[in-house]
Amino acid sequence: MKNIKISSKNVNVHYGAKQALHSVSLNINENEVTSLIGPSGCGKSTFLRCINRMNDLIDICKVDGSITVDNEEIISDEVDVVSLRSKIGMVFQKPNPFPKSIFDNVAYGPTIHGIAESKTDLEEIVHSSLKRAGLLKEVKDRLHEPGTSLSGGQQQRLCIARAIAVNPDIILMDEPCSALDPIATAIIEELIDELKANYTIVIVTHSMQQAARVSQRTGFFHLGELIETGDTQKIFTNPDNEKTQGYITGRFG
Amino acid sequence: MSNQYSHEKIIQLRKKRSAADRRFKTYGLIATLMGMAILFFLLFTIFSKGYSSFQKSVIELEVSYDQETLKITSDSTYEEQVKAKFFRVKKNAIAKALPDLSKKDIKLIKKMFSINVDKEIKEYFLNNPNILNTTQKIFVTAHSDVDQLLKGNARRNIEEKKRKLNDRQLEFFDEFVSSGRLKTKFNNFFFKNADSRHPELAGIAGSFVGSLFTLMTVFLLAFPIGIGASIYLEEFAPKNKFTELIEVNIANLAAVPSIVFGLLGLGILLNVFGFPRSTPLVGGTVLALMTLPTIIIACRASLKAVPPSIKEGALAMGASKMQAVFHHQVPLALPGTLTGTIIGLAQALGETAPLIMIGMIAFIPNIPTGFTEPSAALPVQIYLWVESSERGFQEKTAAAIMMILIFLFLMNALAVFLRSKFERKW
Ligand SMILES: Nc1ncnc2c1ncn2[C@@H]1O[C@H](COP(=O)(O)OP(=O)(O)OP(=O)(O)O)[C@@H](O)[C@H]1O
Ligand SMILES: [Mg+2]
Repeated sequence: MKNIKISSKNVNVHYGAKQALHSVSLNINENEVTSLIGPSGCGKSTFLRCINRMNDLIDICKVDGSITVDNEEIISDEVDVVSLRSKIGMVFQKPNPFPKSIFDNVAYGPTIHGIAESKTDLEEIVHSSLKRAGLLKEVKDRLHEPGTSLSGGQQQRLCIARAIAVNPDIILMDEPCSALDPIATAIIEELIDELKANYTIVIVTHSMQQAARVSQRTGFFHLGELIETGDTQKIFTNPDNEKTQGYITGRFG
Repeated sequence: MSNQYSHEKIIQLRKKRSAADRRFKTYGLIATLMGMAILFFLLFTIFSKGYSSFQKSVIELEVSYDQETLKITSDSTYEEQVKAKFFRVKKNAIAKALPDLSKKDIKLIKKMFSINVDKEIKEYFLNNPNILNTTQKIFVTAHSDVDQLLKGNARRNIEEKKRKLNDRQLEFFDEFVSSGRLKTKFNNFFFKNADSRHPELAGIAGSFVGSLFTLMTVFLLAFPIGIGASIYLEEFAPKNKFTELIEVNIANLAAVPSIVFGLLGLGILLNVFGFPRSTPLVGGTVLALMTLPTIIIACRASLKAVPPSIKEGALAMGASKMQAVFHHQVPLALPGTLTGTIIGLAQALGETAPLIMIGMIAFIPNIPTGFTEPSAALPVQIYLWVESSERGFQEKTAAAIMMILIFLFLMNALAVFLRSKFERKW
């Protein structure tokens, strides 16, 4: 039995009067990849953004219920979101490198958190992060060019390198491959597979094949409800719920 | 066939639509050409009226630096030389400006020279002290009346009474011209002097420096306050009725007539706080109030235009709110903010009414050297000169307008430069 890293209980999210999540309870295991699937607008991103409190940025968004990370409650005003977010990295659906150099993009996190002791230390962190994100070979001669000059897939890997540079425990990925071609997607999937040895990964995806390839566990959302969770193998071969069955066989969604 | 019928209709409609396109293009072209024509006409009039004030008239005098008259010797120190009797040398030189002048003639011819002539004679000597006891031919500044006549701004074929120069003086004038002793040269006074009662000596330097000090005050006050307020309102302020009220009022403030700010400066800065009158400090403070809303609106718009994904990326990395704002949003918002600031400063440069209210309209014959010294400003200088009846000031008015326009063009060029320098793509 794996350790439970993140545990949500009865999480409800409202955008103004509209309820986007209905009593979602989901456990996420340590050092595993958990994928969240479901039709568009069902609340996958909303749930993901609850875990690192990014929903705080949306004024009309109200979250209640309980989410624990390492058995500590995070849905509370007392939580220091800055330290929470340094523990939980996030990769967005659309690559969003900072308009700075490739080096500075990766160095940003370690710099603001004061992780690097010296300049060589920082360079070491940047290099190893880029290497782990599978980007170093392509960019090592152009570290001082703007991050925005990279291709879409490279930018996405840069964002992954940026996220792992601060050495988080958890990485949240919101459709990281939605803008990428099959080759770039394969590179990122390979990367996710490697990363799971050290990190807990939650990935939102629209691609059933991707969920099946990279994740150990899967959660299926529908209309703001978590319909079913379980081992990926089981969800894709023999789901308990009809709706899940319908979605994965492409009958709706 | 109904199909064909509708086809025809569609072709008709398409013809109509492309005709409308062409018409609209023509209207646009006409409007642009008209705008440009008006602008060129404006610039042309200003230039043709003003360019002559970059020239001044000078008359050649034979000055004998005679040591008896000057009451110095070749051993005199610099201090003694400075105090030497140059006015006597000048008097002698003017009396012999033309041959065979009667006493009355001398009186008349004296009026054809600027009152500044002794200073020029003195300066010439101080620069070349070894000319003691020699006679030098020096071009000295002519009186504005001579200057205007030579430049053709004043008419000579009118009744003697209506002329500044009488018939006898016109004879002298013609004699100077025909002997090549009256000519125009570059008017250094216009660029290095402050205002003066004498048109031939009046210059733009005082009000230019005054405007510079005023704009510096505006920038130093309005830029930090404006940026601080924008960042607070855009990123930190709670969204409630109170902040909404503030936002609406900033927009209102931008529409308040400038003279109201002037009254505020008069009533509060001068009368309550006792700031020194007609100084760049007060003028700048008042104009800063006026510029503030422009800067805030520009800065907030450019902060809003920063893609939210950048801020989200930074916050998701665990940056604090302040770090996200100052490391990522402010640098991206800077070009737009600077452009807005320079537009605000350009507006402030041209404002006249508030400066009149706080007394910056006084006649100031010195170039200010600090923020708390009485000073003029370019727009007020224009106002003062256009008001004065002497013809010599008319060309100065146009020239001062040219200076303010050049100042504005330079500021806009700076805005374009800063924009391209700081602009980054994302
Ligand atoms: N900022 C917001 N303001 C208001 N409503 C929102 C906001 N963000 C999301 N919602 C609503 O919440 C619901 C869930 O949205 P969410 O983005 O979580 O869906 P999703 O499952 O990620 O969809 P997709 O697969 O298309 O990304 C949707 O109905 C959406 O309209
Ligand atoms: Mg989504």
